[in-house]
Amino acid sequence: MEQGPQYVIEMRDIVKDFPGIRANDHITLKLRKGEIHALLGENGAGKSTLMSVLFGMYQPDEGSIYKDGEKVIIRSPNDATALHIGMVHQHFKLVECFTVLDNIILGDEDSKGGWIKKKASKKKCLDLMRKYGLDVSLDSLVSDISVGMQQRAEILKMLYRDNDILIFDEPTAVLTPQEIENLMKTMKAMAKEGKSILFISHKLNEIMEVSDTCTVLRKGKYIGTVATKDTDAAKLAEMMVGHEVHFTVDKSPSKPKDVVLSVADLCVKNPFSHKETVKDVSFKVRAGEIVCIAGIEGNGQTELVNAITGLEPVKRGTITLSGADITDKSIRERIKGGMSHIPEDRQKYGLVLDYNIEQNFVIEQYREEKFAKRGWIKFSARKAYSDELISRYDVRSSQGSRTITRSMSGGNQQKVIVGRELDKEHSLLIAVQPTRGLDVGAVEDIHKKIIADRDAGRAVLLVSLEIDEVMNLADRILVIYEGEIVGSLDPKKVTIPELGLYMAGAKRMTINGDIITNSKKSSRSLGGDR
Amino acid sequence: MSQSLINKKRFGFISFDSVRSFGASLICILIGLLIGFLIMLFSSFSIDGADPISGLAYLFSGPFTALDPLQDFGNMIFYTVPLIFTSLSVAIAYKTGLFNIGAPGQFLMGTMAGLLIALGINSVGNPVQGVFVWILAIVAGGVAGMLWGLIPGFLKVFFGINEVIVTIMTNWIAANVFTWVFSLDGLKGMVNTASGKTGYLITTSLTGNSTPDLGLGALTHNSYLDIGIFLAIIVAVLIWLLLNKTTIGFSMRACGLNKFSARYAGINDKWNIVLAMAIAGALAGFAGVSYYLHAGIEIQYQSVYQKLPDYGFSGIAGAFLANCNPIGCIFAALFIRYINASGTNLVSVGYNRYFADIIIAVIIYLAGFTSFFKNLLKIHHKNSVNSQPGGKAKVPLPDDSKPETEKPQKGEIR
Repeated sequence: MEQGPQYVIEMRDIVKDFPGIRANDHITLKLRKGEIHALLGENGAGKSTLMSVLFGMYQPDEGSIYKDGEKVIIRSPNDATALHIGMVHQHFKLVECFTVLDNIILGDEDSKGGWIKKKASKKKCLDLMRKYGLDVSLDSLVSDISVGMQQRAEILKMLYRDNDILIFDEPTAVLTPQEIENLMKTMKAMAKEGKSILFISHKLNEIMEVSDTCTVLRKGKYIGTVATKDTDAAKLAEMMVGHEVHFTVDKSPSKPKDVVLSVADLCVKNPFSHKETVKDVSFKVRAGEIVCIAGIEGNGQTELVNAITGLEPVKRGTITLSGADITDKSIRERIKGGMSHIPEDRQKYGLVLDYNIEQNFVIEQYREEKFAKRGWIKFSARKAYSDELISRYDVRSSQGSRTITRSMSGGNQQKVIVGRELDKEHSLLIAVQPTRGLDVGAVEDIHKKIIADRDAGRAVLLVSLEIDEVMNLADRILVIYEGEIVGSLDPKKVTIPELGLYMAGAKRMTINGDIITNSKKSSRSLGGDR
Repeated sequence: MSQSLINKKRFGFISFDSVRSFGASLICILIGLLIGFLIMLFSSFSIDGADPISGLAYLFSGPFTALDPLQDFGNMIFYTVPLIFTSLSVAIAYKTGLFNIGAPGQFLMGTMAGLLIALGINSVGNPVQGVFVWILAIVAGGVAGMLWGLIPGFLKVFFGINEVIVTIMTNWIAANVFTWVFSLDGLKGMVNTASGKTGYLITTSLTGNSTPDLGLGALTHNSYLDIGIFLAIIVAVLIWLLLNKTTIGFSMRACGLNKFSARYAGINDKWNIVLAMAIAGALAGFAGVSYYLHAGIEIQYQSVYQKLPDYGFSGIAGAFLANCNPIGCIFAALFIRYINASGTNLVSVGYNRYFADIIIAVIIYLAGFTSFFKNLLKIHHKNSVNSQPGGKAKVPLPDDSKPETEKPQKGEIR
């Protein structure tokens, strides 16, 4: 391969080790000026680590980085900024109570005698916005603007600093399809102006659409770099996972029986903004069926689940579990009533990370006769139960039941939660993003277990942001948009683009089943508040 | 067989984890002593006749270089008792995720309730009644401390007010209440008017309700030593059992480690906060009565409102030096008093006794770094085991600070 300044960034043979794991194993990445270079790989393939190395957040154990053909050592994000490398993180780094403009100039303020001069900065921002078609309201507080606009603010922040190498870490995960489209336009405009873009994603269609070149990583290893125009999505998928990909899971038709969960006219209010995050939601989940709530992140799914599981109070409406009104019941009563819950955030809610596997397995049942006698813990019974679950759910750990869950990988942490929730006596399983961040094998495994749980006669309420997961598992799809259920669909009949229209709010069903196509609404959602 | 709940391979009932905790505390102590020595060394240039080497020797020998080592030793044990209680108070709250700055106030309320009973009832000439009144006073002290601890507990649960802010204020309220109560006309009988001092209360020796010493005082050349130390040890063991062996402790610690997942699992975190503050308050209350019910200890009630009792705040030091382990609290408290006991002896080599306090302060400061030292020990341990190929011992793995959620599965065993 040629060397030299034809590449603006060259990362050669990068190795980065974490305790027990090699996150990057001799990875080479070459970025040309003015190209959009996609970095593709599953969760855990090492994409974010590689970008963190480039951005100076990690130091590589081996390998070196060249900018314009010259070797550079990037010790911190400050070094990266000095080299005009900018990054839009997956979780934005904005000060919520500052205005957008303040956020953009933060750390790079123009000042005179200690007074900040904003006028020139604002002009520069406006010029940039015009040039790249970025719609940002500079004087709004960050807390008041939509996620999409926050992202544009982050992009503007990079441009303001005259960065010419821009890293985007999974930028589309939080956006609506329309916002994604606009982002793509902006990216193309920036590339045209000579900016070089690194774009992390595991969404094949986006990569096919926007990128010029694509580098694929798998389990920390470099698989290859291809020109996007010479390949297709199926080939990229194969490179990404290492074998041909079957996106579907075998599953027999559902045989719904009695209603297990019934939600009627449920409203949830955000305690801070007093906005209704869930609006008059009604649905039923029957034993033996998987009902899936589909929607783009932040459309009220979290709040809906929190209300059903008791983590958040309900403003109005009723929740009934197996015939009993549980609207105002405590979480423990709900659990005893047969509710199992695989939470969205496994580290915040699912596990006490500093407890070991054994303790986490019984965290809902520790007071029951099986595991305690007159308030004293039955250690041997607990250990036996934990050992059994470890082998049944194939939880891998260094010290068996005594492994502190913090030291385990995300997949195994999830197995602990899934094992606990499925093994517990339950009639309803609520699974929120049960496969987030897991590799393909683990995903398939969890999908099978959820289907098995359905076939065993449990009602399953699945909340997922992944369209593939929704289409694969659901017996019925409910689409949630801005806190409302806007469609009840049959996964066998609906197409993915159509589902997308519902999720974006461009289409909705009325109570009597009529379908309204609302083009106005979709355009409003572009820059508007969610 | 005892079972360490925490983790790691165990040797009998001692886990690697506790060995590391102990080692970390030891490092804190050694660095503290070293810094103390350096301070003595540098100040010896300006103090005539100061001798840093013997100063260090005195520090190490604690009470044993005193004129009457046995008496000093007895006193050291006596002074350790309230410190064990306040350390336990801070420790159990911390295990539940609360920072009990309120120990001084709970200590004073316990003292007040205990003294009202022990000084209010006359059992002179009736030793059996004296023992019962003493027990009653101890219980009253615990209950009063508990009620005082419930205030921040309830305020946190119902109004979400931070317990640190509340307890800072309840401490001073307690101090003022104390002085006010004993200034009441009806309690004139409890004020010591005999010895010419002003503002002191009478001691329990005058009412016959003092803490039994079973001859321990006489045995140690008339030191203050009494049976309090046994109570403290029993209570520490009970707290350890509560935290580690019962469902109550399991839920308390779950709340302390992650209140969100505790809540998710149906554990009532509000109840656990209230419970932890109640127990913490009671323990601090016990600290007060264990000290002031002794026949020879007098309290100047008139100045209580001006200064919070040291024992309350030293409890924070004891708890953290012990890494909030209830059994460790016994040793941490003993250690603090051991160094402190050397203070008076330092005078003979040219230093004043506050040097001992400086060293304790440094050690406590370093106790904040225990987790850092603990991690340091982990790395060393890992290396030493890795250097023995095929070693069968399961290694306590570095639970590196970042959980690698999104990492691939291939390196399961980390």
